[in-house]
Amino acid sequence: MAKRITIDPITRIEGHLRIDVEVDNNAVSNAWASCTMWRGIEKILRARDPRDAWLFTQRFCGVCTTVHAMASVRAVEDALKLEIPLNAQYIRNLILIAHALHDHIVHFYQLSALDWVDILQIPKADPTATEKLAESLSPWTRNSRNEFKAAQDRVKAVASSGQLGIFMNGYWGHPAMRLSPEVNLLAFTHYMQALEYQRKALQVVGILGSKTPHIQNLTVGGVANAIDLDSPSALGMAGLENIRVLLDEVVRFINEVYVVDVCAVAAMYPDWFKIGSGVKNYLAVPDLPLDSAGTSYDLPGGYIMNGNLAGVHPFKTAADKEFRDSVSEDVTHAYYQGGKPLHPWAGETEPDFTGWNEDQKYSWVKAPRFKGEPMQVGPLAQVLVGFAQGHPLTLKHATLAINKIETIGGIHVTPDMLHSTLGRHGARAIRASMLAELAQKHLQLLIDNISKGDYTVHNQPVFPGHEVEGVGTHEAPRGTLSHWIVIKDEKIKNYQAVVPSTWNASPRDHSGAHGPYEASLLHTPLARPEEPLEVLRTVHSFDPCMACACHTFDPSGHQIAKVKVL
Amino acid sequence: MKKVLIGGIGNVLLGDDGVGPYVARLLAARYEFDEGVEVADLGTPALDLIDQISAKDAVILIDSIETDAAPGTVVLYRKADIVRHCPTVRMDPHSPALVDTILSADFFGIAPADVLLVGIQAASFEAGCSLSRSVAASLDKAVTEVLNELERLGAKHRSREDPADIDTWWTPKDNLSPLSA
Repeated sequence: MAKRITIDPITRIEGHLRIDVEVDNNAVSNAWASCTMWRGIEKILRARDPRDAWLFTQRFCGVCTTVHAMASVRAVEDALKLEIPLNAQYIRNLILIAHALHDHIVHFYQLSALDWVDILQIPKADPTATEKLAESLSPWTRNSRNEFKAAQDRVKAVASSGQLGIFMNGYWGHPAMRLSPEVNLLAFTHYMQALEYQRKALQVVGILGSKTPHIQNLTVGGVANAIDLDSPSALGMAGLENIRVLLDEVVRFINEVYVVDVCAVAAMYPDWFKIGSGVKNYLAVPDLPLDSAGTSYDLPGGYIMNGNLAGVHPFKTAADKEFRDSVSEDVTHAYYQGGKPLHPWAGETEPDFTGWNEDQKYSWVKAPRFKGEPMQVGPLAQVLVGFAQGHPLTLKHATLAINKIETIGGIHVTPDMLHSTLGRHGARAIRASMLAELAQKHLQLLIDNISKGDYTVHNQPVFPGHEVEGVGTHEAPRGTLSHWIVIKDEKIKNYQAVVPSTWNASPRDHSGAHGPYEASLLHTPLARPEEPLEVLRTVHSFDPCMACACHTFDPSGHQIAKVKVL
Repeated sequence: MKKVLIGGIGNVLLGDDGVGPYVARLLAARYEFDEGVEVADLGTPALDLIDQISAKDAVILIDSIETDAAPGTVVLYRKADIVRHCPTVRMDPHSPALVDTILSADFFGIAPADVLLVGIQAASFEAGCSLSRSVAASLDKAVTEVLNELERLGAKHRSREDPADIDTWWTPKDNLSPLSA
């Protein structure tokens, strides 16, 4: 008989992901993704000055602050047809890369590694054997017996105190956990080290953005960084050298630790290449512009339908006409008024809350569609779109990762296997190593351009008398982000943000088509339905982010997540 | 020299949830502090809050709260009150916030010795950039609470001779004036 499982972090405040699955014979037979977040936040922007919008949009979310700031200035610049000086492009690119590297490290280690790593096994590991194993995998100098022993001792101390603290209530000892004690210890030691390296990446954002969270250096038309090679208070050689040192350390961590660990986990859980595919339509936008007009990019964009890599359609620009014309949002199953799907420039955000009803409305997330179809966004989309186009940088790093998995586990990974839960983790690691290489490239581009004597950072925006529309995109850590703006009389007439997690967490649309989370969960086997670790693995592989809108502290403990089995 | 972080937490676009950043900016505008005391508007951080609180001797956070108390009620929580309830399953990996941050910092051995939270009971979290009347009326009380705790921690503050404007750029110009002074 079918069971219904609800995973719902009950918060009084809106803003969390809820997953309902129907389980039949220990496998998921149906799924609903919903979110309690009320998106009326965009209404705040109406009638404001478009030049100020980014300050507000970067407060949408506490994790993705910079990405919403960037998409916002780009939307206004697109509407005004405003070019950006080279220095500004490079500085923005460096911020985006550093933020993404921080984000990908935190996602894998702090937020999802413990779906695969079993804390209970760590005390059983032999630190010397762990060191030997680690040496066979990577040249990372901190893979030493001492570091492994220290991490193990810390876990032992916590375990023996009976106060598990942060590790209370994980699914430890779950039958779906299958790493050896030594691999568990190895990954866990890196979980601890990751905290230092994500911080170094964030320091780069802080140096260029003046402040983090909430960078201060953006402006419509460029950046507000004063460039002066000799002044300590401006961006000069000392600051740039500081950035280089930080990036070098982060890049080494990505290549020698993060990518290796993801490949090792993949090699040891090969069945997860067959689980979690779902929607095989992929969407990514080009990013990291290389010229002031935004005609060439270091990250490729485009779309793939039905998993047909050979039929990939590239996007030429970040605001490609095909992209602009093809996005709509469907509210059939979302708590909003309205009928047929609307283009974001005509988008409405009028609430119509009716309570959770699986056959009718059940989510605050609208269902974004591209050419009427649900799309999966995120690093996997970007890597597949690049791979299918023969993008050299993507091919290089994808091949390195695929070879690594083969070396460790003897598994031959084909592009087809990437449509999976592990494919999403693998693609994120591949993207991180691409970005690591690009970080150093864009720093050099900036230094070279400044060395030529170009100190320009800003072009003055000019508002036309008539109404204008713009779209600002960014290939963010979680995927394609787009901000859509309508400007009239130097004021914002309409503003809509179509964020990555709404593409992936989308509910069904008028045709009944599942969103990516929902589709990815179908057929997932569950060893213990009352402990749905497998559901979390797949949902976490998307790197969802929808909870950051509001952070009220509830001392009664009501933010405790609840797993309810009916 | 004691290193203390006074951090306002909350979303300035969601009504009373903006009270944390508001109080932080109010403190920065009106007072000078001992060297080592940092006042910051932290927005709505996730795990990166760890970086903000590590290497500090004490942290005083200011946040909106949701209890049965009347809107505007100011309540002081100490670390044990904050971590009393540990989250179970992280559905959305970006929801860890305060409790997880402190527990993680504890595990890594970098948590400040003192973690305090000055909570202000909210009236409304509707999208908007203004504080409700009852919360705006409690700003003084929240400020006093923060300053008292700071004093108890052994760090000094002085009123600025020439108070700066409160840089709450998100609030509409006709919002309630926070301090009558």
